[in-house]
Amino acid sequence: MIAFGCPVTDSEAYHRFAAPGIERAREPDSAVYPNSSAGSIFRAYNLLLDQAAAHEDLEALVLLHQDVEIVDPGFCAEVREALADPEVGVVGCVGALDARSLAWWEGAVTWASFAHRYYEHGGGELPAFAMEPDAQPMPYARTGVVDTLDGFLMVLSPWAVRTLRFDESLGQFDGYDFDFCLQVREAGRKVLTADLKVIHHHSLELLSNPERWIEANIRVIEKWEARFPRVGAQIGSAADDWKARARRAESEAAAARTLRVSAQMQATARERELLRELETMRASTSWRLTAPLRWVSARLR
Amino acid sequence: MIAFGCSITSPEMYARCAEPGFRLVAEPDSEIIANAAAGSLFRSYNLLIDSVADRDDLEALVLVHQDAEIVDHEFLTKLRRALEDPQVGVVGCVGAIDVRNIAWWEGSVTWASFIHRYSEFGGGDIPSLTWLDDQLPGYARTGEVDTLDGFVLCLSPWAVKHVRFDEGLGSQIHGYDFDFCLQIREAGHKVVTADFKVVHHHSLELVSDPGVWINAHVRVAEKWEGRMPGVGKPNWGPAAEDWKARARQAEAEAGATRLQRVSCQLQAEARERQLEAELEEVLNSVSWRTTAPLRRASALLREVRASRAARRAPDR
Repeated sequence: MIAFGCPVTDSEAYHRFAAPGIERAREPDSAVYPNSSAGSIFRAYNLLLDQAAAHEDLEALVLLHQDVEIVDPGFCAEVREALADPEVGVVGCVGALDARSLAWWEGAVTWASFAHRYYEHGGGELPAFAMEPDAQPMPYARTGVVDTLDGFLMVLSPWAVRTLRFDESLGQFDGYDFDFCLQVREAGRKVLTADLKVIHHHSLELLSNPERWIEANIRVIEKWEARFPRVGAQIGSAADDWKARARRAESEAAAARTLRVSAQMQATARERELLRELETMRASTSWRLTAPLRWVSARLR
Repeated sequence: MIAFGCSITSPEMYARCAEPGFRLVAEPDSEIIANAAAGSLFRSYNLLIDSVADRDDLEALVLVHQDAEIVDHEFLTKLRRALEDPQVGVVGCVGAIDVRNIAWWEGSVTWASFIHRYSEFGGGDIPSLTWLDDQLPGYARTGEVDTLDGFVLCLSPWAVKHVRFDEGLGSQIHGYDFDFCLQIREAGHKVVTADFKVVHHHSLELVSDPGVWINAHVRVAEKWEGRMPGVGKPNWGPAAEDWKARARQAEAEAGATRLQRVSCQLQAEARERQLEAELEEVLNSVSWRTTAPLRRASALLREVRASRAARRAPDR
């Protein structure tokens, strides 16, 4: 039996996104747990693990965010295929190699079969590289073993459900996925990507609380650096030369802040340019003269 | 005599920006030194300083980037006023206090009387916080600062005689201004802002080569650590001497900020798509397409009128 679990903080989002996806993917005997969120996502997911662990016939537990919609009708078959290897502990649809911190996307991403659907600025969709069936496949795209997964969709093996737990000491939200994947790997099991197609209905604001993210990143690295030598390692200075690391990182952070300002300025400039063009067109005599025609046309429609 | 100096890598840019500014404010006895860049900006500026250092009548040396245009008729009056205090070593139009590294803009900016004029996306102006005299924020004030933005640096005769840009920092361009201001302050002299109005013709790409910038940031911090209070300290968070905590904090900050930048770019692209769709809607509308001949005729008419006006102009 493949179970589905989702911690819910926004009922409307769950009903719009996660619930239809679960209905699309589930089998008649699937257990579905939409729980109200219990404090942190770590704790909420542990509750779901406890509930699923009680099922003796459990084949997998699918944990998904309330804004994630499974759009893959063959989802359960894909899950079974990925979990056919008993060494696999957790499966996802986005993963990366050489992930050294919570910023796993700064590692080498090997698979990402999702579309980011946003609702700002009139809405739109950004398909990740493994989500465009007609596009030329990226040379680096491949499913298989990775260091970590994006946690918006995680499929846990029965072994993982019964043996591991999300580490509630780490914080509210950030880093639960990276930490869980490290636990799976430390136990000698595999973290795997599979071609599970989902839509992530998410704002374009990728980091809503930077301070919380920074604190979680520090905690996760402190927890794992001695056990996984690459965790926390940085380019340009030896891992144990803290002064050099601090200098370099402070410089990188300052550069990153400046580049962010630059990106914001460029965005504003481009917006101004397009608004100017629109303004020029709409203020033109021909556009103003033909306004009654457009009004009539709109009324007729 | 007030001298003007510029290190040039793009003669076109110099002719369009710095030179008109010099011409606007120079006095009959002013010397304008336009040099081709000699290696790094540090070295080029030292060459400019050396070329006026033995002038007994020197009142100031104004070092300006080739893309900076002085647009202030009272520039020299304001400069002389600022240099009345013999303790002043260098004057600029943008400055900040509590500056801890070459990212001086992360300190507390007290004055910035310039416009950032960009040419991308059809061009535009971004006025800085003290550009408009009637819209000064409450914290705006000229006077003593920790450091200046180096696109306009006005050196006192004392600074010209005693201080040089540190070519040993190994940087091409970054950090020369912060390091120079630290040298001035270490020698017991003052770094001050004045209300010079300047246009900085600059791309919206603020850091063109982050790797080079990062290296300069590290070198300048290493040079000044322990010599000047506050320099090299982190912006917030761990204690200055707790290098492990500082590394952790900054590594996380850098990761978070890179993600925020991506977020900003995604939002910008979404907004761009939205506006382009609106433009497309206008362009594809029946009314816009059917009135195209009218717009073409109108444009032609404007061209004819303009060319007639141009032909008549020399006769007047």
